[in-house]
Amino acid sequence: MNKPAENIAVSSEDVPLITGGQTFSSITEKIVGIIEQKTPKTWYLAIGASLSLLMVLMGSVGFLVWEGTGIWGLNNPVGWGWAIINFVWWVGIGHAGTLISAILFLLRQKWRTSINRFAEAMTLFAVSCALIFPGIHVGRIWIAYYMFPIPNQMDIWPNFRSPLLWDVFAVGTYFAVSFLFWYTGLIPDLGTLRDRAQTRIKKIIFGILAIGWRGGNRQWRHYERAYLILAGISTPLVLSVHSVVSTDFAVSILPGWHTTIFPPYFVAGAIFSGFAMVMTLSIIARKIFNLDHLITLNHLEKINKIMLLTGMMVGYAYSIEFFIAWYSGNIYEQFVFINRAFGNYAWAYWIMISCNVVVPQLFWFKKLRRSIPIMFIASILINIGMWFERFVIVVTSLSRDFLPANWDYFSPTMWDILTFVGSFGLFFTLFLLFIRVLPMISMTEVKGVLPEADPHHSTGESHE
Amino acid sequence: MENKDKKYWRSPGQLKDSPEYRQQLLDEYMTEHSEDPNQFSRRSFLRIMGASMALAGLAGCRRPVEKIIPYVKQAEEVIPGVPQYYATTMPFGNSAYGLIVESHEGRPTKIEGNPAHPSSLGASNLFMQAAILNLYDPDRSSKVFHKGKEKKFDEFITFYKELFDKLRNEKGEKLAVLSESFTSPTLSRIKKDFEKAFPNAKWIAYEPISDENRLLALENLTGKKVQPVYHYDKADIIVSFDADFVQSESDSITAAKGFGAGRKITSPDDKMNRLYVIESGYSLTGASADHRLRLQSNNIGQFVLSLAKVLNQRGYNLTELSSNATIDFNKEWLEAIAGDLQGNQGRSLIVAGRNQPQWVHEAVYLINEALGSFGKTITFTEMDDSLSSSLDDLKALKDNLEQGQIETLIIVGGNPVYNAPIDLDFDKLITKTKSTIHLSEHFDETSSKCDWHIPRAHFLESWGDARAVDGTPSIVQPLISPLQNGISDVEFYSLISAGENKRGYEAVRATWGKLIKGDFETGWKKVLHDGLLENSSSKSITPTLNNSRMTEPVAAQVRSDRLEVVFRSAHLYDGRFANNGWLQELPDPVTKLVWDNAAVMNVKTADAYNLQNGDIVELAVSGRKLETPVWIVPGYAENSIGLGLGYGRKKTGRIADNIGFNTYLLRSSGNMYLSGDVEIIKTDKKYKMSNTQDHNRMEGRPIFRETSLAEYRRNPEFAREMVEHPPLKSIYPDYDYSKGYQWGMVIDLNTCIGCGICTLACQSENNIPIVGKEQVGNGREMHWMRNDRYFAGDDNDPSLVVMPVTCQHCVNAPCEQVCPVAATSHDEEGINTMTYNRCIGTRYCSNNCPYKVRKFNFFNYTKDMPEIVKMAQNPDVTVRSRGVMEKCTFCIQRINRVKRTAKKENRTVYDGELQAACQQACPIDAIKFGNINDPESVVAKAKKIDRNYELLAELNIQPRNSYLAKIRNLNAQLNKD
Repeated sequence: MNKPAENIAVSSEDVPLITGGQTFSSITEKIVGIIEQKTPKTWYLAIGASLSLLMVLMGSVGFLVWEGTGIWGLNNPVGWGWAIINFVWWVGIGHAGTLISAILFLLRQKWRTSINRFAEAMTLFAVSCALIFPGIHVGRIWIAYYMFPIPNQMDIWPNFRSPLLWDVFAVGTYFAVSFLFWYTGLIPDLGTLRDRAQTRIKKIIFGILAIGWRGGNRQWRHYERAYLILAGISTPLVLSVHSVVSTDFAVSILPGWHTTIFPPYFVAGAIFSGFAMVMTLSIIARKIFNLDHLITLNHLEKINKIMLLTGMMVGYAYSIEFFIAWYSGNIYEQFVFINRAFGNYAWAYWIMISCNVVVPQLFWFKKLRRSIPIMFIASILINIGMWFERFVIVVTSLSRDFLPANWDYFSPTMWDILTFVGSFGLFFTLFLLFIRVLPMISMTEVKGVLPEADPHHSTGESHE
Repeated sequence: MENKDKKYWRSPGQLKDSPEYRQQLLDEYMTEHSEDPNQFSRRSFLRIMGASMALAGLAGCRRPVEKIIPYVKQAEEVIPGVPQYYATTMPFGNSAYGLIVESHEGRPTKIEGNPAHPSSLGASNLFMQAAILNLYDPDRSSKVFHKGKEKKFDEFITFYKELFDKLRNEKGEKLAVLSESFTSPTLSRIKKDFEKAFPNAKWIAYEPISDENRLLALENLTGKKVQPVYHYDKADIIVSFDADFVQSESDSITAAKGFGAGRKITSPDDKMNRLYVIESGYSLTGASADHRLRLQSNNIGQFVLSLAKVLNQRGYNLTELSSNATIDFNKEWLEAIAGDLQGNQGRSLIVAGRNQPQWVHEAVYLINEALGSFGKTITFTEMDDSLSSSLDDLKALKDNLEQGQIETLIIVGGNPVYNAPIDLDFDKLITKTKSTIHLSEHFDETSSKCDWHIPRAHFLESWGDARAVDGTPSIVQPLISPLQNGISDVEFYSLISAGENKRGYEAVRATWGKLIKGDFETGWKKVLHDGLLENSSSKSITPTLNNSRMTEPVAAQVRSDRLEVVFRSAHLYDGRFANNGWLQELPDPVTKLVWDNAAVMNVKTADAYNLQNGDIVELAVSGRKLETPVWIVPGYAENSIGLGLGYGRKKTGRIADNIGFNTYLLRSSGNMYLSGDVEIIKTDKKYKMSNTQDHNRMEGRPIFRETSLAEYRRNPEFAREMVEHPPLKSIYPDYDYSKGYQWGMVIDLNTCIGCGICTLACQSENNIPIVGKEQVGNGREMHWMRNDRYFAGDDNDPSLVVMPVTCQHCVNAPCEQVCPVAATSHDEEGINTMTYNRCIGTRYCSNNCPYKVRKFNFFNYTKDMPEIVKMAQNPDVTVRSRGVMEKCTFCIQRINRVKRTAKKENRTVYDGELQAACQQACPIDAIKFGNINDPESVVAKAKKIDRNYELLAELNIQPRNSYLAKIRNLNAQLNKD
């Protein structure tokens, strides 16, 4: 997968990336057309549903602030529940976008062009959803700003030894850089939108957003350099964010949390779930907006291969945790893992194993790998499985810790569920607004992989 | 309302002191601000304090008229912020507990035991600690009622004076008084006045839970009323027959202290007492036992007889008793106990529980006498000034009432409609009189059936006195003016006996004039200061028992496959503490249930009836039926069902009502404590109960460490050797904790009985909120100090251990490292501190705490706290808001107080000057706390004992707290494995 493309128009497997005899013009018409057309009724239906869910989120967060963290199912041993699970899950989903944009860009994976824009958007929206949870899960939301190193008259700084503080910086940085990266990628397309804008308001807005893009040679040179640098900055972040998130657990002394395998294991899991979410969304988008020629079956198959790989990585992590627990000779550690598989939360554990380890095995078969219904269902199952992975880590470990007298069972309340469901409202609202007002596929980059874009340099590096 | 002081007046109205003026005074502020009439705001507290004192005639001065002398320091005037300590007494049935009460600016906030008092010895029991909350109970009655209508107390006085004259003319022919039992010089003196005024009247006492069987047994055998005083500290062999003497029997503090004294070992060479417990339920005494035998309560009497038989064979003169022995019990057990008793002549003590019938107590006393325990481990005093509960008297009263011989019934305290034996039908009997008068703290079940209800003052609002179990008279002095217009016992007794409304102060002084030798005023001041009359215990007597008078034992063989029920008092005692949230939320030490009672049985019994936790069964005892949920506890005797008393109240208050099940409905005069006539019918209904601990076993983890005495002697380091771990190193440089004060704690598991008083004392000292049954069910109880209970061994006959766990103040604290805002940090004295203002509530510290001793305020638990209850809060401790983590601070407010004092006096804090709340209340001195940097301190010495171990030390967290492992002094004859 990694060798330089001989022919820009085709992938290493000699399958065209873009099908249906597209031209520069047809791509522009196709993608911008989605925005310029009259808003379809289905969009209104969808945004209506999403806004309703967003109201659910706002209502449940409002009640939480009013009443207290006690409306959730948390108890004394289980101090973290769905809020933290949702946080880690959403952050994990937010991994695919930047990975596709940055790492695959650096690795010259041309097939990324069709999906990177909305994968990046998805990253931003998923991280937005994620960022809600650490904010609202604290007991006194109104002073959550104590987490930030703001100079104050008491001369108190946050505790830099706490992984929660690392989280604040890691996720904040990730969000900022991902946003910049996404916005930078948007600039040439914003120029196109500005040029095609029919109303004055649109012209002004897109004009401002396009920050003077003319498409000149010098601008392209600067642009591509900036994009490359941002890709370089983003790449370590993809790995660092979830590594840091995993230290929330790994740095603690709780059996089931206290393991050194967590950083790579969390990153693999994050990529796994991120790609699953990209898959779910792109299948829906290409169906609704007839993007079969831009997001082809080949793209989807590649995503499936990545899911197969990362799925086996998390599977490996699951098994090595058991091995280390046994090998450590630590009775608390051993108990936690036996309890995971056979204890009071065994049902959650086996959901996780089935979805994350068993389901991806389908993708060994080419036929299944290229079957839209199969991959759609699988991608949803994988996201369920990844949610349960976090549930298993957070809840089972806490509910069975050192002193058996403390053990208790966690059950979510209505408010736990509504807050989680509501966070989809935020995600889809942002996503629907995005596909309505911005080009969801990068026109510039897709055009760049058309045969016409190839200036017939025999060994050209297209983005130099 | 007389006063010796010169009378000043502010207005003509005051001078005339007319009822209108009083009303006007009370109404003065009413229109100015709105206030929930059901609640008691700080302002109305001040108003009543001020107004009531002004009415007493000393205008402009709020200080009580009577002199109250502080215990420790002479208080010329109150220094704001500096608490004062007063000595008083809590009368409790036939006994009394001496108290030292902490008072902040005239507001009592915390109760401790009076070290000089023979029944409390500086320690506390649950009821003493909880009594402060009863004082501020917002549901206490504050008004006089007549047939449902609100009246003034003066109207009652007018009514009673008329009635009094009529009754006196009849010589009290149709008058009866039903009171609680007491041992009080003043009450007894007034009762004599009563008898003079009404020679034909009846005055009886009834207590639903009492030592009646024990006292009757002694009266029968000795021919006089004597009170036994047990000296557990002098006993090397203790045998308990169904007696939970460390917790629920009378005078449990001295019992626990004495028992603990025999188990405080510091090296393998020390001697240790041995405790055998034969019981049906699982009590804390059973848990502390070296050997415990499960036996139905109904069969325990026969076991006593069999023991007598074995002792008889060994040459003791117990022929009479042994001839009655009909069942052959476990020979090994009998021989083992008998052997130990024989080998420790005069150093043994056998006790029977109050559940056991009179004849069993008689048999036990006869054995004790034969073993030479009298005068050594058991002494006796004559019962002075006391009135004991009598079931026979109550039955006689029933007959009198039924036959219409009683026209006036005065009920002083107590709640017979709720707790009298159900077959007496007290609620119907009470209507067969012309008038009934009830003095009671709450407008309760009995009040609602009586014509008159008079609010009763709390003992912290009253003058009075009481004798301790050894006869020492001690004083009850008020800490605060009655908050709810209550009338004290002494005042009410005076009123009914003499028809005059006399002040309690006068009445008590009148009595003590005879008790105090020498100059009265000097002696009186000293009594007020000390709380008791020094060196005044009753003379010890050694009676001889007349075994020919022994009651016929129940000879019929009781089959162990037949069900029995045993009624037990628990945290609510007989129900009088039902409206006390602290006691409701204090987990039962064995079942760990809160806010409920249940039919408790063992696994086999539950299996036989196909029952599970929370199944509702219909219990039928002698034909009376009650639906109650089931709770399964390993280690109960087969087919023995335990029922807790005091629940299922209907008309008491917002906390008590409809909590649990009223087991009095099954309790008749024929089976006050035990019944063998029981049926269980399973219903389809389920009931949700809340407990604080779901998991019963240690899962093979080295948490609670114990071994036998023999094994300890072989390997004194056994506790520390139970865990192997790699060398513990930290990547951070160590802070130097070798200077200054370094606070630390040691809990001796060998003496700890697991009573939970530490939990309650901590709750009172540190303003810990109650959260209610539902929140406990959600796992959110707030106790900083908890008692973990584990079962070990076979499910049917397990051993039970209890381990108090609080913040271990780890030097390398995992909670501190993970807090993002540095709200929890270490101070230079080794305390893991909490900065509540800084805490944002991430709960990460709790997740990372291996002991889970950090408690989170999931809701604003003090939001709905009635104003009056807020007065029970300790002003030295922050009340935590919602969303904040809280935990044990080693009572940092107490530490700072003694440090300030020491600094002012230019010295260091000396060992023993400072006590944590849990430590101070502990009846058995299991908790040692102090400066571990001082090698001479008790705690530093305890840490050097070979049994010392730190819980979960292998995590490299370096806990400051440690435990001393438990040692069981096993009898080699019974411990073959």
